[in-house]
Amino acid sequence: MAPVAVWSQADASHAQVSLSGAVNVYSLAGVWTDIREKQRLWLGQGNAQSHSLVFDASKVRSLDGSAFAFLIDVQEAQQKAGGQFAIQGLDPKYQPLLHEFDPINNLFPVPTPKPKSSFVVSVGMAAQDLIEDARGLVSFVGHLSADLAWSIRHIKQVRWGDFVNAAVEAGISALPIVGLVAFLIGVILSFQAAIGMQQFGAVSFVGPLAALGIVREMGPLITAILLAGRSSAAFAAEIGTMTVNSEVDALVTGGLSPIRFLVVPRVLAGILVAPILTLFADIVSIFSSMLTMQIYGIPFINFYNGMLAAVDVEDVLSGLVKATLFGVVVSAMGCLRGMQTGTGAAAVGISATRAVVSSIVMIVLVDGIFAYISYRTGF
Amino acid sequence: MDALDKAIDVQNLTVGYGSKVLLQNLNFSVANGEIFVILGGSGCGKSSLLKNLFGLYEPLAGDVLIEGQNITSARGAERQKIMTSFGVMYQQGALFGSMNLLDNVTLFMEEYTQLTRDQMNLLARCKLDLVGLLPYETYMPSEISGGMQKRAAIARAMALDPKILFLDEPSAGLDPITSADLDSTILDLSKNLGFTFVIVSHELASIYSIADKVIMLDKDAKGIIAEGDPKTLRDTSKDPRVHQFFNRIMSKDAA
Repeated sequence: MAPVAVWSQADASHAQVSLSGAVNVYSLAGVWTDIREKQRLWLGQGNAQSHSLVFDASKVRSLDGSAFAFLIDVQEAQQKAGGQFAIQGLDPKYQPLLHEFDPINNLFPVPTPKPKSSFVVSVGMAAQDLIEDARGLVSFVGHLSADLAWSIRHIKQVRWGDFVNAAVEAGISALPIVGLVAFLIGVILSFQAAIGMQQFGAVSFVGPLAALGIVREMGPLITAILLAGRSSAAFAAEIGTMTVNSEVDALVTGGLSPIRFLVVPRVLAGILVAPILTLFADIVSIFSSMLTMQIYGIPFINFYNGMLAAVDVEDVLSGLVKATLFGVVVSAMGCLRGMQTGTGAAAVGISATRAVVSSIVMIVLVDGIFAYISYRTGF
Repeated sequence: MDALDKAIDVQNLTVGYGSKVLLQNLNFSVANGEIFVILGGSGCGKSSLLKNLFGLYEPLAGDVLIEGQNITSARGAERQKIMTSFGVMYQQGALFGSMNLLDNVTLFMEEYTQLTRDQMNLLARCKLDLVGLLPYETYMPSEISGGMQKRAAIARAMALDPKILFLDEPSAGLDPITSADLDSTILDLSKNLGFTFVIVSHELASIYSIADKVIMLDKDAKGIIAEGDPKTLRDTSKDPRVHQFFNRIMSKDAA
């Protein structure tokens, strides 16, 4: 197929581009670059101001928008060099479009270099973001506490329907995955411990050790991290989508507190399901640990007796109290990140990611504080 | 009108979802270079019909021919080729939120043409200029107003200079001046570049000034109740539903 634009030169200062056929976005590929290159070389020779370029459009069958972009590109280069430019033989029906884009200089913006921020500025900005984030967190905690207190006084006005939905989604639906992970952790924990303890002939102590570790630490931690991955992200995405769709704004302008409406039911659900899931994880883990110790010749009853000697109710309660705190933190972080969602579809994804990351950081933080308190008080 | 003059030919089309039929047994065609407007009250299936026309949804029955090719039965590369022959502007704009306006317009060029980056950018700027958004090329969709998003979406629909443009309520939510500017852009493109437009619209003023031909759909009739030039329909139609629509008569007065 013949090219839709052909360059020809009469003499050093007169050139012509002949257009023919259907000039469109597909047929211009390559031709456009080719003509511009020839024009650049031509304009580089001698005095550019005497250079006159003529476009002959008499053999054109059809033009589309890209043909005009091509004309404008060549025209701009010609004008920039100070040369002459003319079009002849253009079908009158295309004439209005020729001036549609005037002045064409606007189509060639001068690229402005992006301001580079120095290291000090970046550190300052990051610090400011951190402070803003902390401020947002503090004000959220304040609002949430106030609204939680409100819901205790107005227990009938809490949105129990949402609470049940969130509790089912975060709790009952999480049972299989929590059970699976807890079972495997129980197996791994006792296996690893048994290998070491065997060298000292102390395999019988693995049971009490594993059981204590599970109820005080592993059970609550596994549950919380799974909740962070499942429910915190789900809460953030749910509330984030509502934020993007202005549903949260609709609540505010309707005089309803979005925290009371959206966050309180979910946090209450977190408070309910976290300890229950933890208890479930404790039981499954200890059971799987018992099974594993069978391999090392420790019968159930020995494991059981050893466990009773090492673990008392206080240990289990301590784990459950911690799990409740994790539940609050995980669901509240999910809701907070959801409320902080920006605009656009990508913002929801970012919120979900931030929810999981913040939840896990907060879990570790709460765990550390709790460990210190336990050490001080013996609880 | 012979087959070559038809940009779109709709044959015995039935539109609906599952067992719910919205429109039954439609037959109409859109001529090349025509501005064709689909009218009707809310919920009569205008947008659904449009989505059937450009092949987003599979019709319950019947065929849609775009430039003689059946989009309903086409698959794979053949279907993709038909898809590049038209542009679509969705009701909400549907711009890609993670890209600025210029990148939104160049995206389809990157996939389908062999132009260089600079050429694509220039072409995209021309499109943005046509809809009056040239100064906003570096803005993200979330940073501009709803009306501007619609115009940017039209620019994106024109990216590959398709012969047919489908616009779903282009002037809804625009101020009268912008809306009139948009109408004149549509007229320019249609008269000068030979674009065919299929537009879903309620805006009477805009319909009178641009439409070559309209069809009016009705929820209860599940089909076309009027077809032709809008001004003629306004002045001569005996059908009370058509008369009421074109003359903006309130339901309680019409009864």
